[in-house]
Amino acid sequence: MENMVRHEKHVEIMNALEAALGVGNVKDNAVTVNAYFGDWLPPKTLGQSVPPEFVALPNGTLETQAIVQICNRFKTPFIPVGSNQWSLTSAPNRPHTVLIDCKRMGEIHEIDENNMYAVIEPLVTLAQLQGEAYKRGLYIGSPEASAQSSAVAGHLFQGMWGTGYRLGVAYRNILGIEWVLPNGEILRTGSFAQDATCGFWGEGPGPDLRGMLRGYAGAMGGIGVVTKMAVKLHPYPGPKLWPAEGLIPNMTSTLPEDRFKWYIVKYDSLETAINFMYEIGKAEIAGLVQKWPTVYYNWWWANSNEEYWETWKKRVFQDNVKNAVGVCLWGFSSDEQLEYEKRVLEDIIEETGGRMVSQEIFDMWVPRTANNWIRDTNGSRMMRPSGTFLALRLQTDTLDYSVGQVKTGYEWVDKFTPPILDSDGPDWIGGYDFGHFGFGETDFPVEKTAEALGDLMGKLLVMTKEDVQNGLENGVGPFLGGAYHAMAGEVFGYDKLLRGIKKAIDPNIISNPPHNIPMED
Amino acid sequence: MADEMLLPKHPWYHKYPIDGPFDEKKARWTAFNCSRCSVCKWVDSWRVQGHRYARICPQHTKYLYDSHSAQGKCDLALALIDGKMKWDEDPEIKDILFQCTMCGGCDAMDKSIRDAELIKMYRWLRTEYVKRFGPLPEHKAMLDSLKQYDNVWLQPRMRRNSWAKDLKDLGIKDLNKDKADVLLFAGCTYGLSEELKDTVVNIAKVLKKVGVDFGTLGDKEMCCGSPPDKTGNPEEYERLARANIKRFNELGVKTVVTPCAGCYGTMRVGYAELGETMNFEILHVTEYIQQLTKNKKIKYKREVPVTVTWHDPCHLGRMSRPYVPGKDLEGVYEEPREILRGIPGVELVEMERIKEYAWCCGGGGGAFTAFKDFAQSTARERIEEAKDTGADIMVTSCPWCETNLRAGGSGMEEKMEIVDIFDLMMQAL
Repeated sequence: MENMVRHEKHVEIMNALEAALGVGNVKDNAVTVNAYFGDWLPPKTLGQSVPPEFVALPNGTLETQAIVQICNRFKTPFIPVGSNQWSLTSAPNRPHTVLIDCKRMGEIHEIDENNMYAVIEPLVTLAQLQGEAYKRGLYIGSPEASAQSSAVAGHLFQGMWGTGYRLGVAYRNILGIEWVLPNGEILRTGSFAQDATCGFWGEGPGPDLRGMLRGYAGAMGGIGVVTKMAVKLHPYPGPKLWPAEGLIPNMTSTLPEDRFKWYIVKYDSLETAINFMYEIGKAEIAGLVQKWPTVYYNWWWANSNEEYWETWKKRVFQDNVKNAVGVCLWGFSSDEQLEYEKRVLEDIIEETGGRMVSQEIFDMWVPRTANNWIRDTNGSRMMRPSGTFLALRLQTDTLDYSVGQVKTGYEWVDKFTPPILDSDGPDWIGGYDFGHFGFGETDFPVEKTAEALGDLMGKLLVMTKEDVQNGLENGVGPFLGGAYHAMAGEVFGYDKLLRGIKKAIDPNIISNPPHNIPMED
Repeated sequence: MADEMLLPKHPWYHKYPIDGPFDEKKARWTAFNCSRCSVCKWVDSWRVQGHRYARICPQHTKYLYDSHSAQGKCDLALALIDGKMKWDEDPEIKDILFQCTMCGGCDAMDKSIRDAELIKMYRWLRTEYVKRFGPLPEHKAMLDSLKQYDNVWLQPRMRRNSWAKDLKDLGIKDLNKDKADVLLFAGCTYGLSEELKDTVVNIAKVLKKVGVDFGTLGDKEMCCGSPPDKTGNPEEYERLARANIKRFNELGVKTVVTPCAGCYGTMRVGYAELGETMNFEILHVTEYIQQLTKNKKIKYKREVPVTVTWHDPCHLGRMSRPYVPGKDLEGVYEEPREILRGIPGVELVEMERIKEYAWCCGGGGGAFTAFKDFAQSTARERIEEAKDTGADIMVTSCPWCETNLRAGGSGMEEKMEIVDIFDLMMQAL
């Protein structure tokens, strides 16, 4: 009987969705839904994934609104996805879920060169947007998740892109938003509120509502669907066509020497390396400053598993780039600017006791991989050596705080090695906004087995709980979405705000539950 | 120090096994290690020039759902292998497995970030499907034709060499009777299609003109085996492939030259995997002719004032070399371009998607016969891209590409002429 009722409800929802979107733009068959519930860890590592019951492809805001209205009518959950990449928190976890896939929403509506912004739909990738921006002397960053990811989703998510030193975090580049709220209403923010075709201004009307969406790790679809966004673009001194030579997987990229100059500078300790980053920030020079861990060098550089492990076993990067900082100077306004910045940087290197890495190491890393941090293409190589990786101690604070956190990360990694694999004290620290704040992350390879990952995920959750009880925000939690907010919201005093928002705009609790925060209780 | 390192236990994380058959174990490995990163859906980011031509997978571009991407096929493979989905659970399984043009676009992009062989996984999935349900009805005629006539076009064997019937004056050798170092292997489609056979005629004339001592197999030429290989029928493929290898060895030819990209890719990659001794090299005619052009054996007499763009056939490009993890995805990319640049008056302009990240014509993998609408919409996408270069004509060197591009373009308002590289060359000779 229960099955029959369920089946009837399924048929009713399917009929309603087909009526709204047209036959073929919604599917409920086994092979379709099977492609939308895995994640990048072994299936069900987090014990949360079930297949969606429907996959719907709306064409634009109004059709998205229609889906959300249908979901409200039937009180059935929906989850929006961007490029459906690494769907850890967009994997369905409730029965009857409608997965909203934006594959028919891939237009760039406008690129305004004079006011330097673009209006995009959710499927537009960062690579597409970058390609169009370069043609116009503009650019936008790219997260290490790679440039084939959705630019809208990237802006709504954490936003730690390679060029954050200059651009700040991605979510601060959001201007106007067109947003289907979970209750089915359409909200337009910024200048979209005045004119739905014009998104150059981000704030208002009234309180700035963008903070509801972005937060530290985004809302993960928990408070509706962004169907259109205006994003800032920035002046770019590079070529109109990204320079790439060679064939996959051995491509290289060399930016024009009169406007770009890479330095890889090593230090005796992490602290002195971070001091160097501070000094660069104080001088307000450079376009990109990153302190990469040695695993990153190996991850991005190796073109095969064999090359990865042979290079790692020979300690090529561990012995040469430990505590090294990558700096790319950009002559934004002129080649003279670049020359000036070179002189300043070289003075700072001398004053801080930095040493250039050997030319051999520089030539290995820079042409093949360094520019990925401007236009990332190979972030997925992080999965190569063992099938997957995990992360801990992600934090956004000062550069100094990042140092402390990644060091506690080393200890944790050591404690659980194995099953964690050899990783040489993984400490990624990026400077943002000229070093006014820093981002740190501890990433390490783990063999992709359900046992190893299940075990580690359990330990990570225990650590997260301990951190929360100690009043410490360790940064991993928000990526887990609702499960984390349930434990941390009360401690940090933001649970009422999230619940209030959710209650106001998602009365039926259907927008990717349990994100942002569980409401069922 | 190295001995103390904690390394993965599974040996395939240390070195991907390229030797041995691609079996269920490798299929599961390929599927299991998909990280859902979506590189399989897009042109490598460093090569994306803008919004319009950023996609790499024709099937995903047309059908949109992720089930129709490499990522979705990995999900499907994993579900089927692990028994979480039955092979007959959903009729769309057939479409998802067989719509794919096997162009290798996803496979090439995937190889930028991991060691894997997606195309081999697709071939394994198709074979398993055919084992259970038989070949697709749309492919049956082709398979029957192969069994009966050793060609894919239901043509009697005696017609196999009919393209050469007016070339008696050229003195092309019949290698069944005479000896020559070079075998011109026309392939089923160039050899038997009324529309395309002039291309082989032109190639034969060019070869003679530059003094190459060559011959053909006459009506004894058999299909290379590519169509059954791509459509899940490995036994028929192996029958043809082994027979060809045996014959080429027996004839003592040193070089097998073919104008067909499909034959070329199959012989270069597939034959090498069969473990047979091959006492001959395989070259595409563009490779062979380019060597001759380099040696200045070709003298052009006329200008051909035209702007052209080159379409890289998948099996002449990214699919034409055995896979070695970490090594360049080489192919015959430069040779045809150099030939084109060498023809007086010809200006070569490039499309956005070229070489190992080229967009497929849509005609491969059995899609041409089983999913015509899809095959032709894929062709139209390529023609649009070619038009955007400002080229007058699109040049290629593959009978499947030429046929499908013409079919796709036939309904378009603004036409684009599709020309084989040797037909263009003959205009200058």
